[in-house]
Amino acid sequence: MKRIKSKEPYYMLAPSFLLLCIFLLYPLLSSFLYAFQSYKLTAPNAIGFNGINNFKAVFQDSNFGLILKNSFIWVVLTVGGQFILGFILALALRRPFPGRNFYQAIVFLPWAISSFVVGLTFRWLLNAEYGPVNDLLLRLGIIKDKIYFLSDPELALYTVIVTMTWYGIPFFAIMLLAAMQSIPEDLYEAADIDGAGIWSKFWHITFSYIKQTIILTLLLRTIWVFASADLIYIMTAGGPANSSSILSSYMFMKAYSSLDYGQASAIGLFFMALLILFCYLFMKATKFEKAGNF
Amino acid sequence: MIRTQRAFFITVRICILMFYLLMVLLPFYWLFITSVKPRMDILTTNIQYWPKNFTLDNYRVLWSSSNFDVFLKNSILVSLGTGVFTTCFAILGGYALARYTFKLKTMAVYGLLLTQMIPGVLVMIPTAILFSKVGLMNSLGGLIIIYIVGNIPFCLILMRSFFDRIPVDLEEAALIDGCSKLGALFRIVLPIMLPGIVATFVFAFIGAWNELLCAIMFISSDELKTIPVGLSMFVQNYDVNWGVMTAGAVMALLPSLIMFAIVQRFVVEGLSDGAVKG
Repeated sequence: MKRIKSKEPYYMLAPSFLLLCIFLLYPLLSSFLYAFQSYKLTAPNAIGFNGINNFKAVFQDSNFGLILKNSFIWVVLTVGGQFILGFILALALRRPFPGRNFYQAIVFLPWAISSFVVGLTFRWLLNAEYGPVNDLLLRLGIIKDKIYFLSDPELALYTVIVTMTWYGIPFFAIMLLAAMQSIPEDLYEAADIDGAGIWSKFWHITFSYIKQTIILTLLLRTIWVFASADLIYIMTAGGPANSSSILSSYMFMKAYSSLDYGQASAIGLFFMALLILFCYLFMKATKFEKAGNF
Repeated sequence: MIRTQRAFFITVRICILMFYLLMVLLPFYWLFITSVKPRMDILTTNIQYWPKNFTLDNYRVLWSSSNFDVFLKNSILVSLGTGVFTTCFAILGGYALARYTFKLKTMAVYGLLLTQMIPGVLVMIPTAILFSKVGLMNSLGGLIIIYIVGNIPFCLILMRSFFDRIPVDLEEAALIDGCSKLGALFRIVLPIMLPGIVATFVFAFIGAWNELLCAIMFISSDELKTIPVGLSMFVQNYDVNWGVMTAGAVMALLPSLIMFAIVQRFVVEGLSDGAVKG
């Protein structure tokens, strides 16, 4: 159907793009300005440009180094864990078995659940006094003392990472499973005739066929995990003493608790710069442009 | 040799599948049994892995003493609004991208994909400032706008991939039979697309139903709070009433659970389709 000169598609796309321009593009651009302003809701009369004061305040914050380190650990461990566990699940689901649909509906469930419910459930599971995890570990003799999963500054971040990993496995599994199901079956048959082993089949067919999906999913997920603050907010609120704060949760707390929109915007700009740098390096390292077959 | 190897792999596979099943189910099991235990049985070091004294008191307390009915009403309103508007816009836009050739098409697609890379936290603060200027702060309408904006790029791409699967011939035949373009869209295409439309709606609905941080940031009065925000205030305290909170969590996850179970296959198909192929 050729309707090249028609204006119809523009009208049809207009509502979506209008909303995106007003409530996504404009705010994004305006945050460049707010980052250079003193913008505290607690002092509405003192709003005005203050140069790079916000950036100075952020970088001189004694917690900033810790938060950057935490963000790095958070992203690497969470995305890595989600990817490996999601990959194994997708492999196990690749070939049909009786009841696979029903099974899928259950194991993909965490994807459809709010971070609030997930955070609450894991806080309660890991509760030091009345939680079953400590109870079982003690009974089995694996530990001698209770573990304070969420109030021990050494552990809090890793506890949230484990929860976040659990939360994100379905997403990876769904994406990878779909890609695996598009692999033509005759590739495997040909490999069988050639006498290829299991590992060789996995590496040369399964893995190399879905490589582009893996790269795209890793990229999207890294950005998403880096930016997600809700589970941290629900489980530890960044505490104790910022030991489980990452850049995004810190930024949210700055805006929400201290109402300092200027400083929060400065963190946001820094955040964006990191993201752009990461995307650039990631695409270079993986030669991503080949995947752009839209 | 080959037979033993095969048996070995089947066993490994069953073990792996069981592992994931338990990993997902056990946390929910613990959540649920806590919600039906009396307070004394919850706050005890002698943990009951099977509730001895089954009770629905926590649900009763949740319903009567908190504003849960108000939170529920707000959540339904916001999620329905988000779902309906997002789906309508996505149908229109997806149809345009799937069936027309036009100058800015590539740019539009790239623009949509690019928005997927913008984290919501970054936009939250400037949006809050914008909202307070135009009076959308602390309103359910503002929240719905935020959620539409957050969900529309993906839903549009998703919808486009659903349209792509439907052969153009169907519409052409309808056009030849004297149907108008819009008539063809409504009478021929949309009925076939129903699963895709439902999947898109559910995607947006669940997204709005589950969202937490924007709802915290943009809503301040109690009578406008959604379920996750309303309940999260009680969780921030040190003395959490676990019985009532778990009852609230069970109520909060029921709708997404039911919807996801019904349309899981379409959402999963569409999710991978929309995101992989762009």
